[in-house]
Amino acid sequence: MLVLQQLLNGLSFGALLFLLASGFTLVFGLMRIANLAHGAFYLLGGYVGVVVTAGTGNLALGLLAGAITVAILATGVERVLLRRVRGNELAEVLLTIGIAFIVADICLAIFGGNPMTLSVSEWLKGGISLGVMPYPKYRLFIIGFTVLVGIALYIFQKRSRLGAMIRAGVDDREMAAACGINVDRIISGVFVLGGALAGIAGVIGAGLLSLRPGADVDILLFALVVVIIGGLGSINGAAVGSVLIGVIDATSRVWFPEFSYFTIFAPMALVLVLRPTGLFGRKV
Amino acid sequence: MLLHRTYGQRRQIALVLGLILALVLSACAPSGADDPAEPETTEAPATTDAAPATTEGDSEPEEPTDTTEAEETSEGGTVVKVGFLSPVTGPLAAIGTEMKQGWELYWEEHGVDAGSYTVETVYEDDAGNPDTALTKARRLVEDENVDVVVGPLAANTALAVADYLVQQGVPNFHPVTAADDLTQRLANPLVIRVGAMTGSQATYVAGQWAYDQGYRKAITLCSDYAFGWENCGGFVRTFTAAGGEIVDQLWNPLGTPDFSSYATQIASSGADVAFIGSSGGTDGTNFMRAYEDFGLGDQIEVLGNCCLLDQATLRDAGDIAVGLRSVTYWAEGRESPEVERFIELYDEAYGGIPSLYVANSYTAAHVFAEALKASEGELDPEGLVAAAREVNLEDSVFGPRRIDEWNNPIGNVYITRVEQREDGSYWNVVEETYEEVSQFWTFDPQEILDSPPYDRTNTGQQ
Amino acid sequence: MTGALGTKAGRFKLLGLVVAIAAGWSVPYVFSNYQVSLTTLILISAMLATSINFMAGNVGLVSVGHAGIAATAGYGLAWSFAQGHGLGTQLLIALALTLVASFVFGLTSMRTSGIFFLMATLALGMVVFGLSYRMSAITGGENGLSGIRRPELFSSYWMYYFLVLVVFVVVTAAIWVVTRSPFGTALRGIRESESRMESLGYNVAAYKLGAMMISGVVAGIAGVLSVWLMEFVSPASAGFLRSALATLMVILGGVGTFLGPLTGATIVSWIEHVLSTYIERWPTVLGLIFIVVIVFAPDGIGGAVRAWWQGRRRRSDREVARSSGSAVSADMARSPGGSQGTAE
Repeated sequence: MLVLQQLLNGLSFGALLFLLASGFTLVFGLMRIANLAHGAFYLLGGYVGVVVTAGTGNLALGLLAGAITVAILATGVERVLLRRVRGNELAEVLLTIGIAFIVADICLAIFGGNPMTLSVSEWLKGGISLGVMPYPKYRLFIIGFTVLVGIALYIFQKRSRLGAMIRAGVDDREMAAACGINVDRIISGVFVLGGALAGIAGVIGAGLLSLRPGADVDILLFALVVVIIGGLGSINGAAVGSVLIGVIDATSRVWFPEFSYFTIFAPMALVLVLRPTGLFGRKV
Repeated sequence: MLLHRTYGQRRQIALVLGLILALVLSACAPSGADDPAEPETTEAPATTDAAPATTEGDSEPEEPTDTTEAEETSEGGTVVKVGFLSPVTGPLAAIGTEMKQGWELYWEEHGVDAGSYTVETVYEDDAGNPDTALTKARRLVEDENVDVVVGPLAANTALAVADYLVQQGVPNFHPVTAADDLTQRLANPLVIRVGAMTGSQATYVAGQWAYDQGYRKAITLCSDYAFGWENCGGFVRTFTAAGGEIVDQLWNPLGTPDFSSYATQIASSGADVAFIGSSGGTDGTNFMRAYEDFGLGDQIEVLGNCCLLDQATLRDAGDIAVGLRSVTYWAEGRESPEVERFIELYDEAYGGIPSLYVANSYTAAHVFAEALKASEGELDPEGLVAAAREVNLEDSVFGPRRIDEWNNPIGNVYITRVEQREDGSYWNVVEETYEEVSQFWTFDPQEILDSPPYDRTNTGQQ
Repeated sequence: MTGALGTKAGRFKLLGLVVAIAAGWSVPYVFSNYQVSLTTLILISAMLATSINFMAGNVGLVSVGHAGIAATAGYGLAWSFAQGHGLGTQLLIALALTLVASFVFGLTSMRTSGIFFLMATLALGMVVFGLSYRMSAITGGENGLSGIRRPELFSSYWMYYFLVLVVFVVVTAAIWVVTRSPFGTALRGIRESESRMESLGYNVAAYKLGAMMISGVVAGIAGVLSVWLMEFVSPASAGFLRSALATLMVILGGVGTFLGPLTGATIVSWIEHVLSTYIERWPTVLGLIFIVVIVFAPDGIGGAVRAWWQGRRRRSDREVARSSGSAVSADMARSPGGSQGTAE
């Protein structure tokens, strides 16, 4: 029973990680840049979502507000800044560090430093019986929500026209451009989508972990580990990596409390040494 | 071409290195004798710098500055310059800001004159980073020539800063830092704790109280660093000394995002009371989130420390926490004119109910002002601390307070319960009061000082 | 192409160097002791930045985890000091830990490049941070290890400043020598094209690992000096902020430029320690500067100055009708063509 409970704990945390890592890896797949402001996007989206949810009492509105705020910010960042250094991958990555500094600092200025959590709707509060034991509803909700988002992403990527264009852009940017695809607009779109996913992750995550200054860096680290293990640019990899890290994190806290931090990084180091592109990554 | 280039370069390198060497040699001699000693020429010749001599030498320039300070302003009230260190940016920004508010609030209320002195405060941001804190402390001491440093907040920054200030001979007043050793194994006549209690002081009461309530099996969850070890150490020591049994001890790394696995373990541990030694803030709200999700309240009695249900957490946790008990020295719901006035004052100035950290610095200012009133003329560093040690407050916001010979407060510890107020906010009201609690509880001070500090292996188990 | 003293540029540079060192030497005579401590801090930060600059300039790999290596060395020193070991043992333990950390960094990153390297180092730096937090029995956890004292000879702030200055000059000179050696040339060859160097018979992974070890040792030295300055070490010194700021210093000063790290360290430290007294939102200022530099001066301040200098030189060269002096010898980063020629 304890095992099952810890597995669910790990799965629900992993689900949150997937929400976060999918946006990160999506952007990387197309743009070849690691958006290190992703954690700051998460934080901003979370704060906005928490405030809006508290004000309206509606989680859906909070999610929307968080996603839209970050999407707008991401649009601005992409249009005004990233575009200027397009093609210089390193400059793009370093630029996102600068953005992370500013966004996090402005979050502190606006929302203050007190920890904030999401006040979830009444129907998500408390536990629900799973036959053998009760389990928190909100955690089950996260798992369900994430599965939906995952399926939506999958369908979008594999079945829609836009998704096909994105895949073409990922495979070969020049060729896609030659085929008449407006790669520039696709890139903007994906960056904004990635930001929106980070915002959503922030709102959902605020129901599980509290938001505070510094949470952006903590969560970014988890996202990094997940995508390094799963392979940069791969949604499937992000899914596998998230579940793996989530479960390892939860179970090791119980059975190897001394090594609870190390157990997350051992798999990452192993992957880096043996298969630097990650489990599902392609050679770049 | 390659050869030619390297040859030329080698010559260049050789010349540069030679030059450096020459500079080193030529400069070494005078540098020892006269020059940078400039700020401390009056002191022992630097060439004979044995380590202890220099540390004294470093501290020496401070005192002349103190005196000049005193002379300069002797027309009005003598100005006492205070350097106030707290993190107003970085992860601890919220707490650091409240800490600053407490200090400001006291002087706004009482005016900056205390006895024959006028208090002038220079604020510095240490970003919650020990390295920054140390650099800022240096600036305060060496550039601003402050007479006293108040702060900083986190134990890691506080230990680093205290270590430096003692070397410089500058008194250090600690409003918030709880680290046991500051007033135990590392006690120093220049370092005094004036707001908070030590990490284990209030939790000694927790163990005793839990046993007296009839609980016999306990599980603990504490932050995995000195503050948490001390918290748990206090609880475990008195609980087991009374005859209770510790079923399990869990340690959560500071900043643990997800407390679900701890909540699950607590629920299934078979204990009848759980003591939570939280570092407060995010760890507090994250724990409360898991507490609610897993319905811990229905399964086990949860007892918090000073910080689990402090306003900093309570503002967010709200109704989840109603009815929960804590062991703490700050009870904002205590019926006392002193507390009521303080809360009203804070509400007017900043809005809301003041947290533990506001109360800590407010009390620090209170003690500091009283110490100044009891002093006269030129302040000498140790004399100022000694004067603070003699301060005896009949009723502070924490209740009666005095300070022991190790420079640590003796005062009330309360068993509190969270209640909702009429205006919808939440606070901790007093259920029971333990008076005159010292940092050594009822144990022999020497016995505690001789034993190693609390940590994960030395858990206080009796 | 002669960087020798015979040329006007060479003499000019040497003069500049002498003036710079003399200026450095005079700091304790002129400034208050707080400012001397701050300058010491800047020099140490510049050393950490130099270690990152070495990798970035020569191998083209930008690290955001070097504070982790520095902190490892610092913890080694602090822990052995707390255990009561002598100075020799302290330094030995610090060195051993530095080598181990650099090796791990090198091993996990030698097969990566570009952004993968950046992310791997970022994650590794965070591992050090996490471990220093959680291995609290050894590291003191959040509270860190305090009460560390530097060797008696350097216990005064100004003697310590001289020590740091000398170490800084020596380290910078050593890095300069390594950069100009065949090893450095091979590294730049790898930067330009790994596959070509591989087909030429170079063991690329070993070269990368070697470069990481050198860079790591420099970071380790900075770590030890930093602990001696603060007389204290805590997890914050391994944190993301430390690493990111050190990288920021390199970018600000200009990747691959010689005095870039020092320039960058001066600006960043000034914002963090001085400006922060007056402006509460200093992290935003830092972020803005970061962005402005990357967008408008991607080669950093050093790069901008060099471009200006080269432009001037070219003009004057045209006047003298000689073109051989155009390769300013300080240019280490951006002369791949020539360097590869020598490697072959």
